[in-house]
Amino acid sequence: MKKQIFEGFADESYVKAELPSGLAIYIMEKPQYSSSYAIFGTKYGSIDTRFSKDGEEMITVPEGIAHYLEHKLFEGEDGDAFSKYAKTGASANAFTSFDRTCYLFSCSDNFYENLDILLNFVQSPYFTKENVEKEQGIIGQEIRMYDDNPGWRVMFNLLKGMFHTHPVRIDIAGTVESIAQIDADLLYKCYETFYNPANMFICLVGNIDTDKTLKQIEKSIIDRKPVEITRGEFDEPQTIVNPYMEQRLAVNTPMFCLGFKQKIATPYRRLKSKICVDLLLQIICGDASPLYARLMNEGLINDDFDSEYFNGNGYAAVIFEGESCDPERVANEIKAEINRLRVEGIDKKLFSAVKCGMYGDMVRRFNSVENLAMSLTECAMYDYGLFDEIKMVKSVSYDDVMKRFDVFCDENAVLSVIKPLED
Amino acid sequence: MSAKITQLSNGAEGVFIKNDRFNTTLVSFNFYVPLARETVAEYALLPFVMTTCSAAYPDFSALNFKLAKLYGANLSASAEKVGDYQLLKIAISTIDDRFALDEESLCDSAVQLLTQLIFEPKVENGAFCEVDVAREKRKAIEHIRGDLAQKRIYAKKRLIEEMYKGQPYGVAKCGTETQVEKITGESLYNAWKNLLSTAFLRVNVISRTMPGGLFDGISEKLGSITRENIVDCTMSTPTAAVSKPNTVIETMDIAQGKLCMGFSSELYGDDSETAALTVMCDIFGGGPYSRLFTNVREKYSLCYYCASSSVKAKGLITVDSGIEKENATKAEREILNQLDIMKQNLFTDEEFQSSIKSITDSFKSYNDSQGLLDAWYSLKIVKDKLLSPEEAADIISGVTRNDVVYAARGVKLHTVYKLLPKEKDGDK
Repeated sequence: MKKQIFEGFADESYVKAELPSGLAIYIMEKPQYSSSYAIFGTKYGSIDTRFSKDGEEMITVPEGIAHYLEHKLFEGEDGDAFSKYAKTGASANAFTSFDRTCYLFSCSDNFYENLDILLNFVQSPYFTKENVEKEQGIIGQEIRMYDDNPGWRVMFNLLKGMFHTHPVRIDIAGTVESIAQIDADLLYKCYETFYNPANMFICLVGNIDTDKTLKQIEKSIIDRKPVEITRGEFDEPQTIVNPYMEQRLAVNTPMFCLGFKQKIATPYRRLKSKICVDLLLQIICGDASPLYARLMNEGLINDDFDSEYFNGNGYAAVIFEGESCDPERVANEIKAEINRLRVEGIDKKLFSAVKCGMYGDMVRRFNSVENLAMSLTECAMYDYGLFDEIKMVKSVSYDDVMKRFDVFCDENAVLSVIKPLED
Repeated sequence: MSAKITQLSNGAEGVFIKNDRFNTTLVSFNFYVPLARETVAEYALLPFVMTTCSAAYPDFSALNFKLAKLYGANLSASAEKVGDYQLLKIAISTIDDRFALDEESLCDSAVQLLTQLIFEPKVENGAFCEVDVAREKRKAIEHIRGDLAQKRIYAKKRLIEEMYKGQPYGVAKCGTETQVEKITGESLYNAWKNLLSTAFLRVNVISRTMPGGLFDGISEKLGSITRENIVDCTMSTPTAAVSKPNTVIETMDIAQGKLCMGFSSELYGDDSETAALTVMCDIFGGGPYSRLFTNVREKYSLCYYCASSSVKAKGLITVDSGIEKENATKAEREILNQLDIMKQNLFTDEEFQSSIKSITDSFKSYNDSQGLLDAWYSLKIVKDKLLSPEEAADIISGVTRNDVVYAARGVKLHTVYKLLPKEKDGDK
């Protein structure tokens, strides 16, 4: 087993280990804490709809299958994982996002017993015709719940307006129609491809002993031959699909997402780039910015207003979102402010303040075993070090941030709006 | 890890929760006032106006700039219901001085800022500034109107309104649009004065060290105010059982229906009085081992979520679920069937043990989160001893099966609220 210790902020440190099977393990001891947080994840999410394994033929699977697999993995031949966790008192859950599926638990007692449950059920798929069919009703209701969620709809309508072919445009859970095509064979196919240790990671933080934990993992991981995964190329044009998307739902105040699709030459963004765009967003529209003050004082936004740099394998966009009586005016004000700052430059005092703010947020992250475990999954996904961000934010310069105006291109802007129902 | 309580003034106490785990210090001011239709909107708006400006920081951009310079200090405001009382919270959290890059004294600055916001607001001619009040009123109204966008929250809110018509607990936590509209700078200024003179106040500090002089400073500020007729917030009335449950059905243009059920409980009160109710509610619809999850969701595939929760001060249990319209009656029947199983002592020992383990495990983890600790020590309004999460876990461990059955037998259906999709052309 390869093992490396990382230090770099206060008295915090963690171990990164790699088993011969390729499984990456991150462990951060927090002996003064009562609880621990564990994540067993795979680099497999809703966007992985086209792939081939070990050079076999490329296949296309139904939308929503990664999420469906997540639900079904909890059910084993010897009972479901929840009932096993129930005996230990742990709180367990899982989630599927665009690019990963993670199984997790948190607990104060019985950590090693809980880790056993996690390691075992994630490695023991049990899909039958009956149990796969049974899940259709439950996931169908989950999809229906999101159909009524305007915050979810406004975001996915935006993605549909921005992306032509990239599967980031599809709902993570798929549709009632697409999940109807899922069967046990397809689930096994996806499982065997993506749930290989070489494509997986384990992140553990809390009141735990690193050596004891590593031994337990080493013993429990089934030795499997690494697979070669080829993901389908996205072939996404640099242009947008539609600059304006609108839907009517039962809301009182219109909701909006304004997205700027970034023209990208490579699939992934670098960490420094992400930090610089995050800082730039705080300068453009953070709560100490002139634009935020103007929009707030004119009654155009409220506390729900926010922005993010949305990026992953083959997609990148800057997104502003919120509620407004006049989304089009907010969109125009944001575009005008970006163009003004691009020419006039950003306020140096504000640049220094938002840098302080971001550093503080990063220090704060070390308070929570959950936040740390989630941050370690980012390290596993993108091969960062946990302390890289905090080091980098201190060294980012004014010019570094000014360069990131290249993410904004007016011709690639899409406005998605949810309006109230018409009488 | 227990809390150290200091009396600050008549009806005001400081609670210091020493905790060495965090890189931050959190200080929260918690004001408790009665929930009343006449005052709810003004009181609910106050924390929001008070955290956007002060005499020293007259506009929110200057204030937010200061917070960013304090390494992103988190200033937060909220208005919640705690039984028949309104809890108004204003809190600040800042990273500890040892992390400051230029050796600044962050904690002192943050505490000073917070006390300024509370005791030295921006006042002009005996009124809060109309511009600030108008902005926050507009946001409050949008927030109230925003409930409609979140159907699960909306349906639960409607259930509570139906269950507690004409009672304090039925009052919306931030008031209604009409009540907010009527607020003026002057009425808000008067609400602020009333708050400082009559509210019960608890100041929570969660940190590795007590910020020097904080409690003395607050005592001094409160000493200059006439504190009288202080609110006794331990007097919430329990939910009265009804002889015939009420059913309310509403329709909306939505894809998925919502089923919410409200129950009265004979057990109510603080953690020690309601430990059995907590366990009963958890076995009924708490975790994934619960009767509602394993039956209504897993066995019958009727929904994605079906969960119960309790409001102990009110002796209230609620169940909420997202369902297809044609399954509404079946789901309702199954939920009541599961409650009967609880009453008849037919739940398994495994479910009972799982629940005790899950609740105690979760209570033990409270010490790992400043936010959870702050919530714990602000939501506990008790006549006697303020319990720590570990002490509450010990009480839960002592609950027996018989206690749970007793608690379940005191639970009676009160109101069913259904929000169903509108019938479309072509529907039966």
